[in-house]
This record gives sequence, structure tokens and C-alpha cells, in this order.
Amino acid sequence: MPGAAPGVLPEARLDGGSGTAVIEVRQLTKRFGAVTAVDRLSFQVKAGTVTGFLGPNGSGKTSTLRMLVGLVRPDSGQARIWGNRYADLGVWRRKVGVVLEASGFHPGRTVRDHLRVRCAASGIAVSRADAVLEVTGLDGLAGRRAGALSLGGRQRLGLAAALLGSPEVLILDEPGNGLDPAGVAWLRDLLRQLAGEGRTVLVSSHLLAEVAQTAGQVIVIDHGRLIWSGPVSQLTTATGQAVVVRAPRAAELRAALQDQRAAVRELADGRLEITGAAVEQVATLAAARGLPIFEITEETGSLEEAFLTLTGGERRPG
Amino acid sequence: MSATLRAEFLKLRTTRTAAGLAGLAVAVTALISTLEAATAGTGRGMAIPSLATPAGLRDALASTGFALIAAAVLGTVITAGEFRHKTATGTYLDQPDRNRVLAAKAIVAAAAGALAGLAAAATATGIGLGFAAARGYPLALPAATIARYGAGAVLGAGLLAAAGAGAGSLIRHQAGAIIAVFAWGFAVELVVGGTATAVAPYLPYTAAALMAGVTSGGGMPPIARGVIALPFPAAGAVLAGVAVLLAAVAAASTARRDIT
Repeated sequence: MPGAAPGVLPEARLDGGSGTAVIEVRQLTKRFGAVTAVDRLSFQVKAGTVTGFLGPNGSGKTSTLRMLVGLVRPDSGQARIWGNRYADLGVWRRKVGVVLEASGFHPGRTVRDHLRVRCAASGIAVSRADAVLEVTGLDGLAGRRAGALSLGGRQRLGLAAALLGSPEVLILDEPGNGLDPAGVAWLRDLLRQLAGEGRTVLVSSHLLAEVAQTAGQVIVIDHGRLIWSGPVSQLTTATGQAVVVRAPRAAELRAALQDQRAAVRELADGRLEITGAAVEQVATLAAARGLPIFEITEETGSLEEAFLTLTGGERRPG
Repeated sequence: MSATLRAEFLKLRTTRTAAGLAGLAVAVTALISTLEAATAGTGRGMAIPSLATPAGLRDALASTGFALIAAAVLGTVITAGEFRHKTATGTYLDQPDRNRVLAAKAIVAAAAGALAGLAAAATATGIGLGFAAARGYPLALPAATIARYGAGAVLGAGLLAAAGAGAGSLIRHQAGAIIAVFAWGFAVELVVGGTATAVAPYLPYTAAALMAGVTSGGGMPPIARGVIALPFPAAGAVLAGVAVLLAAVAAASTARRDIT
């Protein structure tokens, strides 16, 4: 295995608490004819994090993920998991769960048989099929043909296949597409559960709100280029989105914040609207100065606005 | 390889496609064989000689032409179907070595094609011998010849299916691949066989058909007069060569293509 001696992978995972880059993309470029889908893209995904991979439709997310797992050949650059190409991971490939197609099933094959096939191809015990059917709530539909599933059911089946190998790393491309509100809530809970178990999740979406509740980190791309990456909590700061504070000693807080170069505006009801500082920074500063705070919030919708600001506010057809 | 092979066999068993195509092959073979046997020696229908003659019995027994083409279609569906149903993504995630996947598919296609060929040959043989026995005719062909026709149908269908797997992987578009197979069998080999009889035995369908003793068509156009069958091993080698060549071209092409 190029780049990794036998036995390195498990140790890398076990030693690699948060801080170790599990996924690394370096100067990745892909052109389809005259269109540059991915343009010198670089980012890292740290172990044990849930990272949202965001961008408008057509921004290059799917091409990037497909290059990451070897389905699409990059024109230049590298995409590595645990320091290796996906194809070179050997048996550790089972520990990478991937969802790329919402309907990558033979319509005439039953749900259980689809999973049995994936188990057989990956050398995973067939008993795992029933286990993941239960996790994804498909146990009642195991005998149904995949073609008869709703879009939500297909998304669940895709996730079930990704979970077959009890993966340490999950790469999910728009897993929430087509899910009804109950399905979205279920997906959110599942991602939280996976994150709670210390797994590394890279989940793409064109909707920030979809991943903001589970992702700690976000990578924002547009036109195949990296626009921004970092903690979700800093996204609003980076784009000048506001934090609103109700404080009894507003004038002192305002002065303290302005000392830190944050922009502060007093609203009609006396609350302060702050831009240029994250909610954590505002709260920490207030605590350090002994200034009480009765209420502190990020403006509703500000994350979406931040996302739109970063991507130029351009809405593209789906 | 074994995991990939196991998965490919499981894929085949868990949809109705293979069974449906094999069933269609057997049904058409049964229909053609029955028509030929029922009208043999009467001058009606396809003007088959009497089942009491070697030529008449051969035509009734060796009516597996459609089954051979159906086997090739089955091979194309095994590979091109992955792109039609977008299951190629999962397949290559589980086994990124695309040559290994193609090899496994060719092996599975060959096995499934051979089974379809066996079922069709057994059906045609049963019907032909049944009609001959019912009319009280003695066996007009040596048992070894009858067995060779059956073996030819099995081997021919298996190797055509493997070649079909290569063609399907190369073309990817399932409907296009199926049309290409039929067009090859019905048009290309018919035209080439009719105009260049010396070349015809080296064409894949004709080689397989002659191995299986098919001359009157068996659901396909008849083999052109004057075409001389290659010896059985040589015909098998030609078919194997075509299957390997298509697989090699498909492998070279597949390895570079993006799965989008």
C-alpha cells in the first residue's frame, strides 16, 4: 500500500484524536471539457469532527467527493483518506462509509438483497445487513423492492449501505435531499449519534441550515474554489453577521466591544447588535469585564445569510 | 477476487433479469424447435426435412440460435445495467479495481450464459427427439453428434455472454448495447456471412451457431450457404479470443473513465 505500511491505518485512527487530519485534499483540480468543476481546492477534515461541505448546486461538491473515493480522476492534486488514496486503503476501505447516489439501486432487487450484495462485495458479514436495516428504520421494508421505495426510503437505504462496515469515516453527498421534515429530523439525529460516537463525518449540502445543527466545522466552496473553512460559530463573524445582546450595562459593553474592533449598533429596544465578533467572543469579553448579559443570540437566519454572502448570494437552479 | 465474484453471482440471483432472459431463450427455443419438428418432412413452414434424416433431426435439435444471442444480451445487461441503474458507484466503491470487477462480471456472465445455453439445448433436444420418437423414427444422428451440438450451445452461449459483458462495459448505455448485439447478429454477420463465406466462420455468432449445429437459424437468420464450420476447438478459441479482446478493450477504456 503506497504511503502506508501495514498496520499504520488503525494506529493512525486510534492515535488520531481531534486534530489529526483524516481527510486531506490538496490542490485538487478537475475539468470537464471547458468547465473547471474543481479548482485547486485544498482542505482538511479532522478526526472525530462533523464537517459540513457547503456550496451552491454546481459548485463542485460532488466532483470533489467522487475524486476523494476514486470514482473521478483528478487532473491534478491529491485527495487522501488516512494519508492514502481510497483505492489503496485495502481492508480499511470498509471503515469508510460513502453515500453518493440517492438511487444507486437495482429497482428489482429487495432492500435486504441490496445490502447483502454490498456486504458480499466488501467482505462484510451478512448479519450486518439486518443490523443497519434496524438503525436506519428500514427493517419493516427489508423485503420490498428498492424501486418501490420513496426518495426518503432510498436515502435511508444509501445510508444503511454506508453503515455496513461500522465506518470510522462517513462521506455523505446531500443525504438530506428529498427527505420530508420527519426524515430531516431523523437524519440530524443519526448524524449527531455518529458524531457522538467519535466518527468523522464529511457531509455535503447546499443548505447551511441542514448541517449547521450537527456540523462543528464547515468548508464552503463555490465555482470549485475554497471560499471559507472553519468552525460554524465563526462563520457569522467572518461574514459580518450579527450577534444581538441584551445587557443592563450596555454602554460599557459597547465600549469594550469597540475596543476589540467590533462594530456595535444600538437597536430601538436598547439591545446591542454586534458584527465582527462571534457569540463566544462577546460572551467571553463580557464575563472578563464583569458585565452581566441577560440575553445573547445570533440573529435568526444569519447563518444562511452568511452562506449566501460567501457564495455571492447567487441562487442557481437545482 | 472471490468477494467480488461472490457479489456478482449474488447480484445475478437477486433480480429477475437473468432468469427472465434465460426463460425467454428457452421459450423461443421451444417454440422454434416445436414448429420445426412439427412441420419437418411436410414441406410446410420452414421446409425442414423429415426427422428421419440427419439434416431434419439436426435442424430440430439445433434450434438454439436465439438462445445464443440472448446469452450475449445477458452479458451486456450484466455490465451496462450497472450504469443504467447507477449501481456502478457502489460496485466501484466496494472494489475500486475496475479490471477485477470486469473479470468477475465476465466470469459470471459466462456461467449464466452457459446455463441458459444448457437449458435451451436440453429443451430443443427433448422436443426434437420426442417428435422423432413419437413418429417412430430411428435416431438419425449419432449420440456423440447430438452431445456435441449441446456442448456447442453451452460453450457458445457462455463465451458469447462473456463477450457481451465486454461490449456492455464498453458501450455502457444498456439499450444501445442490446441494440448493438442484435444488430450484429441480425445484420452485420448476415451481410458479411453472405458476401465473404471464408470469413464468416470467424465471426462470433456464426462460430457459436456452427458449434451448436445451428444452420437453419433457430430464431435467427440462417447461416449462409457455403459457410464451413471450423473444428470445434478452433471455433471455441475464436469465441474465447473475441471475449478476451472485448474485455481488454473495455478494461482499457473503463479504467480511465469517470463514474459521474
